[in-house]
Amino acid sequence: MNTQNGTALARIGQIAINAHDVDRATAFYRDVLGLPHLFRAGQLSFFDCGGVRLMLDKAEKPEFDHPSSILYFQVGNIRAAHQRLKDAGAKFEDEPHVIAQMPKYDLWMTFFRDSEGNLLALMSEVPRP
Amino acid sequence: MSATATNPGTTNLGITNIGQISIIVHDLPRATAFYRDVLGLPLLFTAGNMAFFDCGGVRLMLGPASSPELDHPSSILYFRVPDINVAHRRLVELGVKIEVPPRLIAPMKTYDLWMVGFRDSEGNIMQLMSEVPRT
Repeated sequence: MNTQNGTALARIGQIAINAHDVDRATAFYRDVLGLPHLFRAGQLSFFDCGGVRLMLDKAEKPEFDHPSSILYFQVGNIRAAHQRLKDAGAKFEDEPHVIAQMPKYDLWMTFFRDSEGNLLALMSEVPRP
Repeated sequence: MSATATNPGTTNLGITNIGQISIIVHDLPRATAFYRDVLGLPLLFTAGNMAFFDCGGVRLMLGPASSPELDHPSSILYFRVPDINVAHRRLVELGVKIEVPPRLIAPMKTYDLWMVGFRDSEGNIMQLMSEVPRT
């Protein structure tokens, strides 16, 4: 699709994240991840993450009832964010580590689970001196 | 960094945005062709058995599951388009499997939210979305 005829996929507006307990997940994304809660509409709970809306939802049918894609949340200081998230009770799978050396920066990541068992990550691009 | 004064109970991780989303694929060349040629997203680079695309500053990482646990469909990603009917017609022309034709999903305060459900080459359900201002 191209930009000429109004079909361009300019950006991602929303991402659906399955939650088995929307109240519990809302508390996690609001209080542990610290994302701004936009609004609640029945079993749907909406958050903002840098202009992308996250929609927490119970799966409507068994086909949709699977874990989320891994979302990589960008942070400035991954060690500090890792420590804070750990202190807030999030379960981590590993410690912050360099996952790729890019031409101008080192890409750091660390993986954790949300309250619903979804695997998520923190990422940080650390400029090489 | 210190806890914010306004939300003392809230963690301040300094999350600025979503930098990347992983999408598990079973056939990388097929999926790369779909995201590049059908969805029209810019291919950033490939690295081994992974392909990276840009979507408005968010990187999409296409690759195989690194463990059986992770081998499941993607989260539904909602791609914004300026004209949902035009975009829907184009997907149909390109042979994309449409799950739900364009429909008004929610009348918001100042706009109507329209969506179209479709499947990518790997069977993942995705959506197009468009906010149409109410006149």
